[in-house]
Amino acid sequence: MRSHLPGASVVRTLTLAAAGLVFAHGAALADPIVFTDQEKREVRLEKPAERVVSIVIPMASTVVALDGGTKKLVGMNPTAKSAIVDGILGKIFPEAKDIPSDVTAPNFVPNVEALTAVNPDLVIQWGGRGEDIVKPITNAGLNTMLILYGTEELTREYMTLASRAIGRPERIGELVEWRDRVQKDIEAKAATIPDGKKPKVLYLQTALSSMMAAGTGGNYNDWYIKLVGGTNAAAELKGTVAVNKEQIAQWNPDIILLNAFEAKLGTDWVYSDPILSLTNAAQARKVYKLPLGGYRWDPPNQESPLTWMWLANLVQPEIFNYDLRTEMKTAYNTLYDYELADADIDSILWIDRQGDAAGYSRFKAK
Amino acid sequence: MIGLEGVTIRFGERVIVETMSFSVPRGRSLAILGPNGRGKTTTLKAMLGFQALNAGRRLAPKIVGYVPQSASYSQRYRVLDVVIMGRAARLGLFRQPGPEDFAVARAALDKTGALRFESAYFDRLSGGERQLVLLARALATGSDVLVLDEPAAALDLANQHRLLALLGQLRAPRDRAIVFTTHDPNHALTVADDALLMMPGAHPLFGPVEEVLTPDNLERLYGVAMRLVDLTGPDGVLHRAVLPAFAGMKAA
Amino acid sequence: MVDALSERQPGAIQGAGLVRNTAIFAVLAACLVIALIIGIGAGRFSVAPLRVLELVWHGVVDPSRTLTGMDERIVLLVRAPRVLLAALAGAGLAICGAALQGVFRNPLVSPDILGISQGAAFGGALGIMLGIWGGPLIALVFSTGLAGLALVGFLSRIDGRSETVTVILSGLVVSSMFAAVVSLLQFVADPNTSLPAIVYWLMGSFASATWERFLTALPGLAGGLVLLWSLRFRLNLLSLEEAEARSLGVRTERERWLVFAAIAVIVGSQVAVSGIIGWVGIVIPHAARLVAGHDHRVLLPASALLGGAFMVVIDTLARTVTAAEIPLGVITALVGAPVFAVLLRRHYRERNSE
Repeated sequence: MRSHLPGASVVRTLTLAAAGLVFAHGAALADPIVFTDQEKREVRLEKPAERVVSIVIPMASTVVALDGGTKKLVGMNPTAKSAIVDGILGKIFPEAKDIPSDVTAPNFVPNVEALTAVNPDLVIQWGGRGEDIVKPITNAGLNTMLILYGTEELTREYMTLASRAIGRPERIGELVEWRDRVQKDIEAKAATIPDGKKPKVLYLQTALSSMMAAGTGGNYNDWYIKLVGGTNAAAELKGTVAVNKEQIAQWNPDIILLNAFEAKLGTDWVYSDPILSLTNAAQARKVYKLPLGGYRWDPPNQESPLTWMWLANLVQPEIFNYDLRTEMKTAYNTLYDYELADADIDSILWIDRQGDAAGYSRFKAK
Repeated sequence: MIGLEGVTIRFGERVIVETMSFSVPRGRSLAILGPNGRGKTTTLKAMLGFQALNAGRRLAPKIVGYVPQSASYSQRYRVLDVVIMGRAARLGLFRQPGPEDFAVARAALDKTGALRFESAYFDRLSGGERQLVLLARALATGSDVLVLDEPAAALDLANQHRLLALLGQLRAPRDRAIVFTTHDPNHALTVADDALLMMPGAHPLFGPVEEVLTPDNLERLYGVAMRLVDLTGPDGVLHRAVLPAFAGMKAA
Repeated sequence: MVDALSERQPGAIQGAGLVRNTAIFAVLAACLVIALIIGIGAGRFSVAPLRVLELVWHGVVDPSRTLTGMDERIVLLVRAPRVLLAALAGAGLAICGAALQGVFRNPLVSPDILGISQGAAFGGALGIMLGIWGGPLIALVFSTGLAGLALVGFLSRIDGRSETVTVILSGLVVSSMFAAVVSLLQFVADPNTSLPAIVYWLMGSFASATWERFLTALPGLAGGLVLLWSLRFRLNLLSLEEAEARSLGVRTERERWLVFAAIAVIVGSQVAVSGIIGWVGIVIPHAARLVAGHDHRVLLPASALLGGAFMVVIDTLARTVTAAEIPLGVITALVGAPVFAVLLRRHYRERNSE
């Protein structure tokens, strides 16, 4: 995962800036915004986008964070909306519940009628998933920006592009700098950890109906497990694929991470299972469900550094001692201009559901 | 006993038979005669209960020993397995055939002279052999009514002879009712007591063979002039036979 | 016709047939037992073979014992219910195929055609999407499978009777209808959670087998198997022409639906616990016919034994070859299709050469 050196990312960002656009803050509003999206298409906006639709799930809350409010978000994916309404963003921005989510089916196929009805000046859609989900939007004459999933580098790049597109370039520097700073800090501390001291971490993308584990190969979960000084227990897998309990027993992970997507999934699921409860992870009570903040903390999003710090404290408690509650308060202040209450933090981190897990006490309010 | 009482059958506008009545008691045999398309098979189906009646009713025991004209199975069964199916009605849904049923099946095969290929595959047999197996299955049902659909239609002369001899043997003890369809009136003369002539006009003629098989009736039935002739059989006894008047070579 | 009634060589005598059948069943039963032993011994978590046998022995003599070790739990709580469920499901699918091919007098039909599989698939997809699992999911799958069958029954019944061909066509109609709804559900399913689960489940797997699931599926699978097995002689009759069968005292309509109901119970129970598994219902009865003949009294139990063994082997491959679970549907198709092709060619070559 050396390609994720922060240096490389900065260079990439600068290159983009030089090649793609000439941008002047505030004063030159009349100038068109031109840049190349991650599918190498030229995107041209006569003025900063005021009405943005994100068909990409995590991008909806990212747009909110970049703009510091929900004003510019006029349409989003229903899955993104459920995260917003169920999570803290629903409380910070109660008006988000009125933003339409009929612009797309949950599998990213746009509903052109609903899309044109909200009259967007920018639609953010996934690249790398074929033309069928893109053509309907471009054919309707809508400005479309395509982004790619997978790595931290791509995430920073598309966040940067989005901030420019919505005319808030001043917001992104701070956010990318934060990501870069936290990543470098973790990398520096983790560099001293010998391989023998890196616990095996298993991330389960789904658990209830069938179990899918995150393997290696352009996988964000795999990347941050390694970042914080863990090894991926499912390293022999390519991509996210189905596994069985016997295989998990054979891997015998030291830490099990449960996804935040399945609302009914909690750590009890592991502790009550005859096989999984005998793994090192369960025996040491190191089973954690990923938090649900401004978005689910599993995939890359605007709050990712919080995911890394949370996980770093759990995976390498002797090396890392981030004051997560303070970091969260600062981040939410920057991202959403919101003062997080202690109760908010408790609910984001599932303190009531997994407060008794190993190493979790340091996340509790003092 | 098997028979039909006041039966009318129509296919749409077309009347096949109208208020037809006849019955075949135990101990007698009936030949249903007529050219193709006159309702022989329909009448047979009506007797078996496979044909909806527009009027009248069917008189028949619960199980009738039925010998279809031909049978071909998608599955490959052995002869004995085909014959044992005749026991189905006595076994009910869930019971399997036991030694007793196999004994009955073998006895039936023995009666039709087909026991020697009991283990052969049915689909490997010739048409004549299959007929014997299906006849054995009909016997294995234990029914005292036997209904055969065109039993001689696909047989060459030698096999026709064997079949008629077998039917004669089955008739001899006078302990069952036998019904068969045929297009050859000589078969009726050989092994039938009664005949049902499917006359044109939907009103079949029923009666003892010697009364109804007259040249006049046969001429009306087939639409060709018919003659009764006497000839010496292989046993030296005089036989009565029917021939179409056009048959033979003109004598000088 | 030349020597129609002349003397012909007597075929195999009945005693020899009995010996032959006994030998066939001994071999098939041995196959199943060997498959079960291999299945319970093999897995990603390594347990020494002798230890496996010891654990199985413990499990048999003292089933209520508390299991503390990982190897005990793997063998007795993961592998044992899984191989038994696979064996039972394989036996069920194979016997359903054999019975259906007899009833329809068509060697190419399989349990999928009665609308049961797709109906059950719809229930499963719907359940996963609504976030239902466990017992309620199984109940939902089972009832939609039965609903599929009932719909086929309703559509194919014209003037109080259903012809074979209308049953097949109605099955086709109902199946494609349910398949379309399943596609629709996949279309609207959440790509992060339910969609992969639905897709995976549609491809079939015993990965989630537990004793509870085994016991949930047991009544339906075992009951259906016993019902079809006890109808084995009746199936010979149902494979005859309609008129012939009726003349022999078979109430064809009613008995055919009894067979269909047994099949619905088996397939519904199987789909509920392990998703859609294709090919078994068509490949296994053919293979069984080649070794045991066409008589359903022999064919049905032979298909069940062979299907059970086949399923256990396939499932063992699915969970041991790679760290990831391979969907069963993929392997049954990969193994089943070529085997089927070979069997078919050999079958017709033999026929032609005779």
